[in-house]
This record gives sequence, structure tokens and C-alpha cells, in this order.
Amino acid sequence: MAVELGIPAGVAPETTLATCPVPWPHGPAQQFAAGRRAAASALAAAGSADRIVPRDPDGRPRFPRGFAGSISHTDHLAVAVVAAGAEAVGVDIETAAISPRTAAFVLRERERRTLLAPAGAYTPRELFAAKEAAFKALNGIGALGDFLFWRIELDQSDGALTASYRGEPVPVWVRSEADLSFAVAIRR
Amino acid sequence: MSDTAAITTDEVKQRIRELLADLFGSDRSVSDVPDTVSLREAGLPSTALVSLLVAMEDAFGFEWDDDVEPEVLRSIESLAGHVVALRG
Repeated sequence: MAVELGIPAGVAPETTLATCPVPWPHGPAQQFAAGRRAAASALAAAGSADRIVPRDPDGRPRFPRGFAGSISHTDHLAVAVVAAGAEAVGVDIETAAISPRTAAFVLRERERRTLLAPAGAYTPRELFAAKEAAFKALNGIGALGDFLFWRIELDQSDGALTASYRGEPVPVWVRSEADLSFAVAIRR
Repeated sequence: MSDTAAITTDEVKQRIRELLADLFGSDRSVSDVPDTVSLREAGLPSTALVSLLVAMEDAFGFEWDDDVEPEVLRSIESLAGHVVALRG
């Protein structure tokens, strides 16, 4: 996939991003390994001496202390984002087409009416990625418990997208390149 | 299948596997996942999970409640158990 991902505009400049292609046969093992390679590169760029990201018992990647990070992948590309000093980071990349039925499942009527084009500036895939990224950033907050990513609510103010769940907000940035949408959520 | 027909857990699990095969085609790492293994850990992306949930609404004639517990959506077995409980 010939896509050059970059940090979306507005994200703190000390945030680092790295990508790694997923080799054939593009299965879960290859996706996992590519994600860890991307995470090691993002950690190196952020100045972390520790570049190992083990998997916690719940399946989440455990980044080194002081370097919040997140990993996402498709069948062909893995991406990792690290934000030194942040409380939590979430990243998501999506290439799948989001059908109107799927959009209706994950987006509330208000979100569809105000955020999707033509009234809003976003595509269904961008908002899907935004909710997934926000979920990863918020899911580590113990008080919120276990929840489903589509319960997160999206709002826009002054051109900025904010996700929230049970009153806990996190800003989200999205951008699209070619046939891929990319979202980053950083909680400080 | 009618909304009132009795249905077994095995029948629901088989139908869910058929839906997964429809969604994933030849990707047997997902369509052959064991009943109790997490679908996400088996490699099912979130977009595909939502597509499966939508397809289940059509196949089994129900709508997912907003407050469904995440654990219900974990595996083929937990999904099937939910459908059977609704139809019971």
C-alpha cells in the first residue's frame, strides 16, 4: 500500500508516528509483528530507550512508562503513535467501506446529522476511526469499566472533534489518505 | 426460519459461521475460529464485527440493545447464547 501517513494537523508536535508494512500472508501473526515493529520505531523517535511493547493479559499493548502509545493495523499496514508524557493514546486506521447500515449502527442520529457531509466535514469511515481511536485512549481509564466503542459520543467545536464517554473527553484528529482513514486520540 | 421457531445453540453457531464466511470469504483464520475464542483476538476487525452484528439482526430477526454487554459480543459461543436466550 503506497500510503505516506503523517500526524494529522493540530496534534502536538512531539507526537511520533511510525508505519510498517504487513508481510504476506497478512494474517494476525504478521499484523501483530508489524505493529510491534512500528511501535519500536515510534518509541525510538520519541526518545525511549525501551522499545519493547509486550501484550497485557487483556490483549492491550503495554508501552514503556512515560511513553503512551497505541497500535493499529489493516491487512497490509501497521501504524503506531507515541506521545511522551500523555496519559493515553489511541490510534486507528480503516480501509473498509462503511455502509449506511454500519454507519447507522455506530453513529447516533445527531452525529450522522451534524458531522457527516454535507452538513459536516467527515466521512463515515473517518468517524468510525475516530470512535475506535477514542475508545483505545479511554478504555484504559479504570473508572469507565468495559464498554463498546460505538457508545462513545462525538462532538465538534471550533473545527475540533472531541469524543467522550460518561463525561470523560478526549480530543480526536482525523485525516484520510487515498483509500485509508486515520484517527489519533490523545488524552493528557 | 421464523421468529417463533425453536432454535438450538448449535444451529445459531452454524448460522453465525455462515455469516462470517459470507463476510470473509476464504479467510479461514476467522471463519474457522473456535467457538469460545475471542473474535477480535482471532483477527476480526471492528468494521467486520459491526457488519456481523448487523447481519445477525437480519438473520435472526432482532435488534441489538444499546446496553448489550461487551462480553456478549466476544465469541461465536457468546453471540449464539445471546440469540438463543432472546428466542427462548
